[in-house]
Amino acid sequence: MRIFNCTFIAVLLVTIVASCSSRVSEPVKQEVFDTRTARERHGEEVFMKHCQKCHPAGEAGLGPAINSNPAPQFVKRFQVRHGLGVMPAFSDEVISKKDLHDLSLYLKRWKTY
Amino acid sequence: MSKVRRNIVISFTCLVMFVLLAGCYRMRASKGGGEIGPVGARKLVPSDVQLMPGYQIEVVATDLTFPSALTFDDKGTLYVVEAGYVYGEKWEEPRLIRIADGVKTIVAKGGKNGPWNGVAFHNGNFFVSEGGELEGGRILRISPSGEMTVIAANLPSQGDHHTNGLVVKDGYIYFGQGTATNSAVVGTDNADFGWLKRKKDFHDIPCRDVVLSGRNYQSLNPLTDDPKDEVTTGAFVPFGTVTSPGQVIKGSVPCTGAIMRVPVSGGEIEMTSWGLRNPFGLALSPEGKLYVTENAYDERGSRPVWGAGDVLWEVKQDTWYGWPEFSGAKAIPDNAEFKPPAGDKVDAVLQNHPQRPPDPVTEFGVHSSANGFDFSHSAAFGFEGEAFVALFGDMAPNVGKVMAPVGFKVVRVNVETGVVRDFAVNKGKRHGPATFVGSGGLERPVAVKFSPDGRSLYVVDFGILRMTDKGPDAMKSSGSIWRIEKK
Repeated sequence: MRIFNCTFIAVLLVTIVASCSSRVSEPVKQEVFDTRTARERHGEEVFMKHCQKCHPAGEAGLGPAINSNPAPQFVKRFQVRHGLGVMPAFSDEVISKKDLHDLSLYLKRWKTY
Repeated sequence: MSKVRRNIVISFTCLVMFVLLAGCYRMRASKGGGEIGPVGARKLVPSDVQLMPGYQIEVVATDLTFPSALTFDDKGTLYVVEAGYVYGEKWEEPRLIRIADGVKTIVAKGGKNGPWNGVAFHNGNFFVSEGGELEGGRILRISPSGEMTVIAANLPSQGDHHTNGLVVKDGYIYFGQGTATNSAVVGTDNADFGWLKRKKDFHDIPCRDVVLSGRNYQSLNPLTDDPKDEVTTGAFVPFGTVTSPGQVIKGSVPCTGAIMRVPVSGGEIEMTSWGLRNPFGLALSPEGKLYVTENAYDERGSRPVWGAGDVLWEVKQDTWYGWPEFSGAKAIPDNAEFKPPAGDKVDAVLQNHPQRPPDPVTEFGVHSSANGFDFSHSAAFGFEGEAFVALFGDMAPNVGKVMAPVGFKVVRVNVETGVVRDFAVNKGKRHGPATFVGSGGLERPVAVKFSPDGRSLYVVDFGILRMTDKGPDAMKSSGSIWRIEKK
């Protein structure tokens, strides 16, 4: 039963990753994106400063797409802090704890707007 | 399975997937927008372009060969320059073309010294920046009848990058001058570009004195017949020249990697700012502030730099912007963020820095090639005060590997916050140039310009440029001009 559950979840996640479009932008969605809070707004600025160059608009570029990444926000924050593969780690001197949480808020909002 | 255990399993699975997805970066093939097979004639289908809601797009001109910039005369008539040279060592005649009522009229032709990269209209004349791949860059004044006068000449343009975009401000022509190399060291990549065999002693020239760290790089020597012959080369010196710690390279003007200016009537060339790798586009904001787009480092040559995003800067007088030691405001040497995945950390080539670079306005995607741009200055179009930037698109794998096409669109930038948003992209499940996604949309936007009344945004689309095993392969007559307006 446990093996079945794990396999099912893994297959489900792979399907989600494969089927989700990473394209999220105002022209694609035909809807203006508006940050709802000051923290989301700040999170977008943090994204532009540190993330945009490798994941432009959250799509794939030098790095993989993050718009279609189903991982929970705490996993993404872990990855920012510790890096993964060729992605460098960003210490709290580069992205503060507050900035990181604002970044999470923005990513969540951007992904689902 | 309890809820807690289920969450643990989901998180663990995500983590494993992350590792699998991220860990195999080195094994993945590059997927740049130009990495496609042979294509047929270009088709242009405005409905294949997706715009911000409330806007429409149409084709204004077609069958242009390597168009690079546009401007308007005092009557509002559209003029386009065709570059006449493109990477891959493809030579054509640079041209200034008037486009009125769909009719193209050639105003002036250049010789074999392209690419013509910028054009502006001022006080009844056109000013054109001639890239100068063979004879050095020049600033030209061209009368409406086609009479040509040289305003500035012998600009150091025979390398990787050229004399670029220009603007006229306060009686001066401000223009960008690109660097000879990727990161200050001449290497085999410059032989691949084609110029090293033509101009064996060419190298970067700093505007002011710089002190070298003495770091040298060993590379193969493509200038000899022996395929195993090696040479050692330092920064800011000719290929095969060794440098030493504390060595001073004298600065001089004209220099490479700078914004310079010359009076509109000609005269002494002055340095405005320096330390810019390839300052391609220049534009004035509605408040009269000068901004520049900088094409950032590639992962190539003797000193490859990984993960450097193109930059939008506000131009400040007498300021050093960091090349070849910074990317944006971040130092490159010993920084893991810029270490090539299959290489070593980047070493410093300067012993000290002229200053700490300012913070950039924003950064674009790595290899997106942020080029010509303009500011919206009318409510009739909207987004007043925002910069609209043409992203030419990656030239992977020559510039480095990418996991998906980068650029190939028009974005808008809030210069106060640095927030970048897509404005014009191609429709489809995948992002990329029209030839990549199989549509009739945008190919390679290279410049944008608002009409004098501010109601329309004109987009210069360079056309098809594929990346092949033999290098870049640009297709003649595939360039076009698009016009975007509010519905």
